[in-house]
Amino acid sequence: MRSFFTRSTVSKVAGWIALAAAVLATVNPVSAQQPAASVVQAAPAPQVQPAQQPLAPPPPPSWQQGRPESMKSSTLAPNPPGLTAKPASEMKLDKIKLLPGFSIELWAQGLPNARSIAVGAKGTVFVGTRLIENVYAVVEKDGKREVKTILKGLYRPNGLVFHNGALYVAELSRILRYDNIEDNLDNPPKPVIVFDALPKDEPHGWKYMTLGPDGWLYFNIGAPCNACVPPDTHAAIVRVDPKNGVMETVAKGVRNSVGMAFHPNTKELWFTNHGRDWLGEDMPNDTLHRVSKKGVHFGYPYCHQGDFVDPELGKGRSCAEFTPPALKLGPHIAPLGMRFYTGKMFPAEFRNRIIIANHGSWNRTNKIGFNLMQVTLDAQGKPVKYEPFAEGWVDGNNYWGRPVDVQVMNDGALLVSDDVAGALYRISYKK
Amino acid sequence: MRGVSCLFAGAWLVAAQAIAADVEAGRAKAEVCVACHGLNGNAVLPGVPSLAAQPAMHTFLQLVQFREKRRRDPQMSPFAEKLTDRDMQDIGAYFAAQKAAPSSFVVDANKAAIGRKLLEAHHCGSCHMPDLSGQNQIPRLAGQNVEYLVKQMRGLKDGSRRDIDGTMASAAQALSVQDIDNLAHYLASVK
Ligand code: HEC
Ligand code: HEC
Repeated sequence: MRSFFTRSTVSKVAGWIALAAAVLATVNPVSAQQPAASVVQAAPAPQVQPAQQPLAPPPPPSWQQGRPESMKSSTLAPNPPGLTAKPASEMKLDKIKLLPGFSIELWAQGLPNARSIAVGAKGTVFVGTRLIENVYAVVEKDGKREVKTILKGLYRPNGLVFHNGALYVAELSRILRYDNIEDNLDNPPKPVIVFDALPKDEPHGWKYMTLGPDGWLYFNIGAPCNACVPPDTHAAIVRVDPKNGVMETVAKGVRNSVGMAFHPNTKELWFTNHGRDWLGEDMPNDTLHRVSKKGVHFGYPYCHQGDFVDPELGKGRSCAEFTPPALKLGPHIAPLGMRFYTGKMFPAEFRNRIIIANHGSWNRTNKIGFNLMQVTLDAQGKPVKYEPFAEGWVDGNNYWGRPVDVQVMNDGALLVSDDVAGALYRISYKK
Repeated sequence: MRGVSCLFAGAWLVAAQAIAADVEAGRAKAEVCVACHGLNGNAVLPGVPSLAAQPAMHTFLQLVQFREKRRRDPQMSPFAEKLTDRDMQDIGAYFAAQKAAPSSFVVDANKAAIGRKLLEAHHCGSCHMPDLSGQNQIPRLAGQNVEYLVKQMRGLKDGSRRDIDGTMASAAQALSVQDIDNLAHYLASVK
């Protein structure tokens, strides 16, 4: 087996870290002394952002790469984005199929483009967005639930982590920290810049971020394309130490991950990954991965789903060179947020099962996904069952909502975000 | 995981999301727009886009972009400021139901011929549809105003028009100023 971490790779990665460190040094980001810019000034003005040059040379149009001649005139195109919040009357929750004993309710509405969920120590539910500039907070006061837009003017604020009283927000190319946020929801402090040397590529540039048991922030740097040989800095899961801005590569060969979580017992990182487009209706699978060793390479762009060599980019390569996924999840279903079920409300067999939110397909004639799936692991952490948990956001090829993230609440219920309905749902269980 | 695809396979339907919008209500709400966007949304002023036969989803989402100030234009922005989501859905449905008047654009045949080749080489029709009538969030380009097309393509390339999710900005990166001119000539002439 060919070792992935060849000399040149190591030196390039080191160079990347050095570069990041150099930028860090100049902006002195973690210093509380630094007059942190206000959100409005700190966030690049929307009009300016795309003009800033990405570190990588601008890739050819991302949708076009790797599309075979036979599919050049296919009219499949990415699904329309959700930019508004739907009225409750357009959410067909009565159509959602659940297992016996489970029920779903509309928990909060009026959150356009609702994406990743994080929960504060005092119970505040934070929700990020990808295509609009907001971060929301949902609070319960006197038995009433209220949605506040706490941050505005951010650029693709998709990644959220709550840690030590602070809200960390991952924008497209930087990570911000808002201290003591739960006591200041109506007047959030100016952010401290934790890290701002990330690539500025738009394709797969938005982040999913989670907190490691080691206190580091883990997130994706997706491939800046559908199928290409990415720069060494991309197609990876990385981590940043929020204390000093040191950055390290955790896993390579990851096309794009928009969902990850640590196993509650083994403390290993698991993540979902999107397979490439334009290789047919049923190929390749999107995948679930387990990082048993830092620095493992999962195959992209040479090998997909652990056993399928890329027809173009994989020439001369073999899947045996790479670490296979833990599970194939289905083609084009777009798995996003995932969590281990650690609550006490659901029946005992749910303990430590993985629940995955599937955003749903576009690169396929018949739409699939648009559901929640569950993965049961055996004692060795091997997936042994993969089955539906909740479905019904799509009817034929019409969808009314798209699940994005899942979050286990203190009472053991499961929150689900939806960026097309602009809402949060709560799934609960009663014997 | 073969079972997954069978489990969720459904009947093939048009991919558009059903929006419960009202064409008649949209007609009334669009009365103020006609001054610039023309009768039934067929514009005649240079630099103003036609809205007739645009996919409802596209008109809706662009109006949201103007209202939320993610897309700006000194003439257009004020008219989106006070519209509700519902207004925008109705207006989108109304313009989608209007017939596009045949293009009266006087073509530079040379430019249009080059533009047509470029369109094929870049596979613009795969998203914008082979007849350039658009689909869902992707706009109709056939017969669109030539000055408007040039301004949008330049803006999408340099970021002064920020698109919603980066899809079209990435498609515009490969286009030169000359390409844009030639493409606009061809697009404006398509009936
Ligand atoms: C004063 C003239 C004027 C009025 C009145 C006006 N618009 Fe516009 N509209 C424009 C101009 C100019 C543009 C092009 C802006 C640009 O260059 O980005 C535009 C662009 C648009 C677009 C984007 C089209 C596309 O394909 O991206 C939509 C949608 C739109 N207008 C809808 C409306 C609606 C609905 C109304 C009435 C409520 C309205 N406009 C009233 C001038 C006007
Ligand atoms: C991958 C899909 C895709 C491809 C390929 C594509 N477009 Fe687009 N195009 C879009 C989307 C989506 C929009 C809407 C932009 C937004 O988000 O605001 C758009 C918008 C536009 C507009 C603005 C029109 C208006 O009414 O505002 C023009 C002009 C345009 N495209 C031209 C082209 C040309 C020329 C090509 C080929 C070089 C092309 N497009 C290829 C998806 C695509």
